[in-house]
Amino acid sequence: MSLITPLFLLGLLGIALPWWLHRLETQTTEREKFATTRFLEASKKRIHVQRKLRFLLLMALRMLFLALLAFAFARPILLQDPEAAVTADTTHHVIVVDSSFSMNQGGKFAAAQERANTIVNGMGEADIASLYSASTNVATITEPTADAAALAQDISTLEPGNGRLDLGAMISSLNGLVDVSDANFVFHLVGDFQQTSQAVRFADMIPDVINGRPVTLDIQQAAAVPEANYTVDSVVVENRATVVANVRAFNADGAGSVERQVSLSINGVEQQQQTLGIPASGAYLVQFDAVTFGEGDNRVDIALSPADSLPQDDVRHTVFDNAPPAPVLVLTDDPSSLGLTYLRAALETAPRGYSVDITDVSDFDMRVMQRYPWLIIDDIGIVNPTLDAGLRDYINGGGSVFAAAGPRTGALDTMPLLGTAITASVSDPRAAPAQISRIDTTHPVLSDSSGWSAVNARVVRVALDPSDQILITQAPNFPVLVERQIGAGRLLLLTTSIDNSASDLPVKPVFVSFVAKAAQYLSNEKLLVKEQLADSFLQLAQTGGASGQVVDPDGENLLSLQDTTIAQDVQLNKRGYYQVFTPGGEVLVAVNPDIRESDPTPMPPATLQNWQNVVAGTAPVETADLADNAGASAVASTRDDTLEEVEIWRFFLVLLGLMVLAESLLGNRYLNMKTGSF
Amino acid sequence: MMATAAKHAPMNLLQPTVLASLSNLELVAKAVVEGFVVGLHRSPKFGFSQEFVEYRAYTEGDDPRYVDWNVFARTGKTYIKRFLGETNSHLMIMLDSSASMGFGSKGVTKLQYGKFLGASLAYMASRQHDAVGVMVFADEVMEYRPPASRSGSLQGVIHTLDKAQPALGTHLGKPMSRFQERIKRRGLVVVISDFYCDAEELLENVRPLAMQGQDVVLFHLLDADEINPNIKQSTLYEDMETGHSIEVSPVYMNKDYRERIQAHIASIQKAASGMNADHMLINTGEPLDKALHSYLTFREKRG
Repeated sequence: MSLITPLFLLGLLGIALPWWLHRLETQTTEREKFATTRFLEASKKRIHVQRKLRFLLLMALRMLFLALLAFAFARPILLQDPEAAVTADTTHHVIVVDSSFSMNQGGKFAAAQERANTIVNGMGEADIASLYSASTNVATITEPTADAAALAQDISTLEPGNGRLDLGAMISSLNGLVDVSDANFVFHLVGDFQQTSQAVRFADMIPDVINGRPVTLDIQQAAAVPEANYTVDSVVVENRATVVANVRAFNADGAGSVERQVSLSINGVEQQQQTLGIPASGAYLVQFDAVTFGEGDNRVDIALSPADSLPQDDVRHTVFDNAPPAPVLVLTDDPSSLGLTYLRAALETAPRGYSVDITDVSDFDMRVMQRYPWLIIDDIGIVNPTLDAGLRDYINGGGSVFAAAGPRTGALDTMPLLGTAITASVSDPRAAPAQISRIDTTHPVLSDSSGWSAVNARVVRVALDPSDQILITQAPNFPVLVERQIGAGRLLLLTTSIDNSASDLPVKPVFVSFVAKAAQYLSNEKLLVKEQLADSFLQLAQTGGASGQVVDPDGENLLSLQDTTIAQDVQLNKRGYYQVFTPGGEVLVAVNPDIRESDPTPMPPATLQNWQNVVAGTAPVETADLADNAGASAVASTRDDTLEEVEIWRFFLVLLGLMVLAESLLGNRYLNMKTGSF
Repeated sequence: MMATAAKHAPMNLLQPTVLASLSNLELVAKAVVEGFVVGLHRSPKFGFSQEFVEYRAYTEGDDPRYVDWNVFARTGKTYIKRFLGETNSHLMIMLDSSASMGFGSKGVTKLQYGKFLGASLAYMASRQHDAVGVMVFADEVMEYRPPASRSGSLQGVIHTLDKAQPALGTHLGKPMSRFQERIKRRGLVVVISDFYCDAEELLENVRPLAMQGQDVVLFHLLDADEINPNIKQSTLYEDMETGHSIEVSPVYMNKDYRERIQAHIASIQKAASGMNADHMLINTGEPLDKALHSYLTFREKRG
């Protein structure tokens, strides 16, 4: 409700007048002491209460009268929303246009817009419509309205994106987005209805029943005849010199084998090109040898030419990190031990890649420790008091140490670095090894705990401080892996050996992933997934800190200065390379559309028909019918696009008349009662 | 007319409101009695008198103040003077100090008025050497002073009256039985109260005194607003004894209530008559001497 002359609301101050006057007239009951009340009649109290109630009612009537008068002069109007007039006879057209990546193909999207416009033009005079854009997410474009012109304008602004449409997720989103009313709902889904967009569960594609009535599903397929599409499925870099790409053809059964140029570009410079015949249906591997990469992140682009009907997926972007392996210092007293062999193999095959610097403890110069963010001691028993002090200083300063308890540890009474007593040793090789009983899977090193249950080990039993974190326990209650925070650094102690003399851990598959995760954890590295799907979110915390800037493929900064310190994630909605700048350096992230969007194969007509029948149990709305109603669009489009103003001061006048009557009757009754009662 | 006006001028001092301004109750009593007696043509036979009648030989226990030393000088024998109307009896003043006696609409409460009345009666009795006692009561006996005629007993009685404060409710049973237990000798018993009790209760409790041979006088004190209330609007009345509140309309208070209180007064009067006791309704808004005069006239007529 709005007011045309709101200044008249100042008249509301007038309601203070009856309040003031009635206060003057109000007779407060005199309260007096009296010798005795034995001769008084108490029943008269009721008369006073009644009188007072009537009195207040009269005052309220008079105040309401003045308030209504003020409101009437202020000329109240009601802004009537067309949706407010929705009745059971109204049809609410929910128009959903597929704006996923596949709609870039050929004239699909233009056809979809045309069909959406046809739907709008076919709306009845009492109908309303709302417009949604569906891709990875469903976005509301136009709220429910009867304004066909506004709807057409909004349809023309729609563009296909790079996301993937899942019909089940789309219907689920629509269930929450659609404003429920008494209208009959018709869901008009306009798109290419790829087979790959079908939900895993068919039931997920059934919209909720609204107001006890099933919605009507109207499927508007934008491309009746799908076209063939060729794309690069994946790119793999092998041995830092070979690039292997997988080229695929979709929906090309009728096209036969097609010749395509495949080119490889590194950091924007084309290095190699091949011509190959792509079979009608299936995949073709293309290999580029002797590829030279720059140091650090490299932009690897595989492009197909000539362009097909969906040129946006003819180029596949990949990032190859050509950073040198990180050095790791390993202290040992036996550089040729079997344990070191296992350790080196595990480290060198880790995703990050490490180069192992093995140093004999007898030749060790402690000053070189500062060159390494972390180091390994294959048997902590080799640590003498001097080295112990040096290592403590190293850890206190922020370094990390991973140590195992080898045969030399068993001969000690006190555990080096920990400084606590050793209660039992692994010196007896005949003692039966025990299995792992408990694993702290919340710890980053043990996030993948599968395989630990098969590990058998004999451990050095060592006393621990309460602050020590026990990560792996062996039955009955012996620590196997312990972490202690020392100053700014940490010590990760394995209470068994890394050769297979006291434990079978090195020969179990879990050993490689354990060493890789321990290396990543102790070196404080955070791996960034350098290849992402379009419309996914990049977690900035993975880049090594929330503070940083993200530059999209078009060179635009995505974060404001303030967001660079608080933003937790960024949506990657463009194809190409995003540059992520963090305090730790620059990182590249390649973004490609979901490969399923490249497959234009539509859902079978029988499936679509079945879908419509299951949803409503009614015949689908024919596009032709909508076109027949196009004539009505002229009427619909001439509707006033503003809310209708309805003046309601007349209602106030009627109310005022009734108020005057009620006030007179009540006042007259009050006066009669007053004179008659006393 | 001028003479009459001059004669009545001192009477203004006896207005209750004026008396209330005097802090000394003995002074009040003296002012009332002296002014009142001066206005009388002669002393009535009401039991109190100053007129000499005869001499009698002094016996042990008599007040030596009344020894006629002139006779002693002439005859060498000790005689004491006796006065007209001297009955050698006693006066017992019973003052109701219940909470309802604290009511007063014109600046003087019924209790204050009762104190003035009691003190005046005590003073008059003391003038003719009668023994005077006092009992202040409400639900219980609050103060008790047995009748005595010796020097200083008047001050004691007046002091006891002066101390009385309104409290509790009215119940005649205990004070009357206490009186019966202690006073065996016949005399004048003055009960000063608003008598907010049933006539049956009054008969039950006071009749034994009359049967005992006591001359019972009931001074029924009521405020002007209790007898003839006149209110303009609904009023919430709080009972001074029970604290119970009742809202009363002017219509009821100015008409029905008056009828009820008059019926109550009549019932008390009837009960008093039934036990051969005197009943004097006193409006505490009237001058005290007027009330005393009415009573003495009444006694005189009664013989």
